[in-house]
Amino acid sequence: MPKFLRPLFWIAVSLLGALALATIALHRGEQINALWLVVAAVSTYAVGYRFYSSFISAKVLALDPLRATPAERLDNGRDFVPTNKWVVFGHHFAAIAGPGPLVGPVLAAQFGYLPGTLWIIAGAVLGGCVQDFVILLFSVRRDGKSLTEMAKSEIGPVGGVVAYLAVLSIIVILLGATALIVVNALKSSPWGTFTIAMTMPIAVLMGVYLRRIRPGKVLETSILGFGLVLAAIFAGQWVSESPSWAAIFTLTAPTLAILIILYGFAASSLPVWLLLAPRDYLSTFVKLGTISLLAAGIVALRPSLHMPPLTRFADGTGPVFAGTIFPFAFITIACGAVSGFHSLISSGTTPKLIRHEPETRMVGYGGMMAESMVAIMAMIAASVLQPGVYFAINSPAGIVGQAPAAAATISSWGFQVTAAQMATLAHAVGEQTLFNRTGGAPAFAVGMAQIFSNTLGGQAVMALWYHFAIMFEALFILTILDAGTRVGRFMLQDALGHIWKPLGRTSWYPSILFTSAIIVAAWGNFLWQGIKDPLGGINSLWPLFGICNQLLATVALCVATTIIVKMGRVRYVLVTLIPLCGLVAVTFTASWHKILNPNPRIGFLAHARQLAAAGANPRLIFNDRLDAAVTAVLVGMVAMILIESSRECMRVISGSNFAATKEAPFVITRLATKEQS
Amino acid sequence: MSPIIACSADTPVREKPEARTNQASARAISAAIIHSFRVLAAALREIFDESAYQRFLDRSQMQSSPNAYKTFQQENEQAKSRRPRCC
Repeated sequence: MPKFLRPLFWIAVSLLGALALATIALHRGEQINALWLVVAAVSTYAVGYRFYSSFISAKVLALDPLRATPAERLDNGRDFVPTNKWVVFGHHFAAIAGPGPLVGPVLAAQFGYLPGTLWIIAGAVLGGCVQDFVILLFSVRRDGKSLTEMAKSEIGPVGGVVAYLAVLSIIVILLGATALIVVNALKSSPWGTFTIAMTMPIAVLMGVYLRRIRPGKVLETSILGFGLVLAAIFAGQWVSESPSWAAIFTLTAPTLAILIILYGFAASSLPVWLLLAPRDYLSTFVKLGTISLLAAGIVALRPSLHMPPLTRFADGTGPVFAGTIFPFAFITIACGAVSGFHSLISSGTTPKLIRHEPETRMVGYGGMMAESMVAIMAMIAASVLQPGVYFAINSPAGIVGQAPAAAATISSWGFQVTAAQMATLAHAVGEQTLFNRTGGAPAFAVGMAQIFSNTLGGQAVMALWYHFAIMFEALFILTILDAGTRVGRFMLQDALGHIWKPLGRTSWYPSILFTSAIIVAAWGNFLWQGIKDPLGGINSLWPLFGICNQLLATVALCVATTIIVKMGRVRYVLVTLIPLCGLVAVTFTASWHKILNPNPRIGFLAHARQLAAAGANPRLIFNDRLDAAVTAVLVGMVAMILIESSRECMRVISGSNFAATKEAPFVITRLATKEQS
Repeated sequence: MSPIIACSADTPVREKPEARTNQASARAISAAIIHSFRVLAAALREIFDESAYQRFLDRSQMQSSPNAYKTFQQENEQAKSRRPRCC
């Protein structure tokens, strides 16, 4: 593009973004097209990437194209490999994209599409993308060190311990919450249960095929596996229509929970090549394909949003989860806006693949923008549903009652829905009922099935699309259960190895079984609590997960802020300090509400008191107190790291401490000259 | 100077400048598309560990075989197991 046209182009993009944001924010009383959300997001991301990330690269981080990265200096063809930036981008995106950006926006849509959409866009550009970018760069400059190691070396031992415990806690709570999503999606659904059950023998078959018949041909094996999964979806329809087979695969929530807990224990103890690796490949294949397909479907169909921009539940009385927009919308949508978990990926495999330092901008900042776009698509999928249908699916029986009373309750809120309408929809997607299917996954699947079936195949294939969407979500949640249990087990073994050495041996079977059992018991307890919770489980577990995730982001931004101060760039510290302050405000306020709010639907302790007064099962009362204790401990730990980080920064600013970062020594790159020649 | 192309044996014609520009544009577009597909294929090979396996074969100077793949998987098991999957 000619140089003189560039300012005009960016002015046009900015004006288009402003127009789209004004349209989604100011339209009242009539439906708007979903493309306005897409235009608002894409324009803002483009401007953010072109100007804000460029400013951070040049002024704050001073990216140096002449500095050799660890991928170049430590190249061993295994962990450290200089890799094309687009390849690293794809690898990084595949690692950070999970169920979070799909489920969070669906749940937050109870406030209307506006609060969640604005938070996704602003949170990503000013917070999430910045976090992922700076942590990636700082890890690259420290030979690919992990967040925990950086916290320890830059803030102090307290930082290291807190980061370790925060990571372990978030893994356990994440596994409990996501397992609950699968249980809620599959209960009383023979079609879905059969399809997901079939993915296990398919994965084992893929593992054997990959190892014995076509070694290393992973893409080919994944395509074959995908074909078999599609066949399982078709077969699932037959199973659901056969009375004898349907009875076998129609399972209650407790039965599914027990099966998933047993599966988590067994899968995490099996060899990686047999189940985890092939299913990981399969779920990545399905994930990338489905996200692309959904994006194409939204652009092709350009659906209208039926959800209003703001609902009456902005006051905190929402049936999906209780609490006002601030802070609860901000912790419900974590992964699409700011996700602490991403800092683990940005300081894990990705920094070891970066070929040139300036490429961290595209991979870190750009990768998070792509993730945020997935969250926008999830918000669209939830908002294309009629609001009455959305609330009928996502509201627990404890709040709205069961069908047909639920339809009357929801209609009395002004969101018209009838039992007959829900029965027709359930029939269309091949389910017995869609009432009280909390967790976000079924609502997302219905929205996605509507978009897909209106683009390809029509209403006749809506049931297939619905079960494809359920399979897509459940498949990678099960992979997360298996992989997360292993990661948690390794972390526990590393820690326990300091107490008794044999427990730290990762190949010693008694240690594997012992530590796997502890991790599975920990998340299994949260899962069991979720299915027994009279408020539906998601009401307590998802906010708890959101708080943990954002607390981990707080830790990551603390580390980043400390390093920026130590680099002598105090005047630019607001780049990480502003999102850090925002997250502290959100997480600490949310934690305060979740522990101490007198409303039993919000405060854990108030709910425990209510249950005690009603003479409820002591186990339920214990669960609430446990949740309150976990939240309090995590907030206390993060407060400690904040204090340590502030003290370290003040010491550096006042000059009482020598500002020494722990960067690897500068080595000039040879890749640039090689590539030029 | 414009190249001369033969449209028939006895009627040589000079190629129009616009046609040459169009051909160049078409070539550039097709090159960009091929490049994009190559990068996409490379990204998929990296995501699905096919590149890692190829690097392993190069490093260990082995031919692809069930045994070689088994050794590659054993070498990568720890790294793969410790890699968190994001929420």
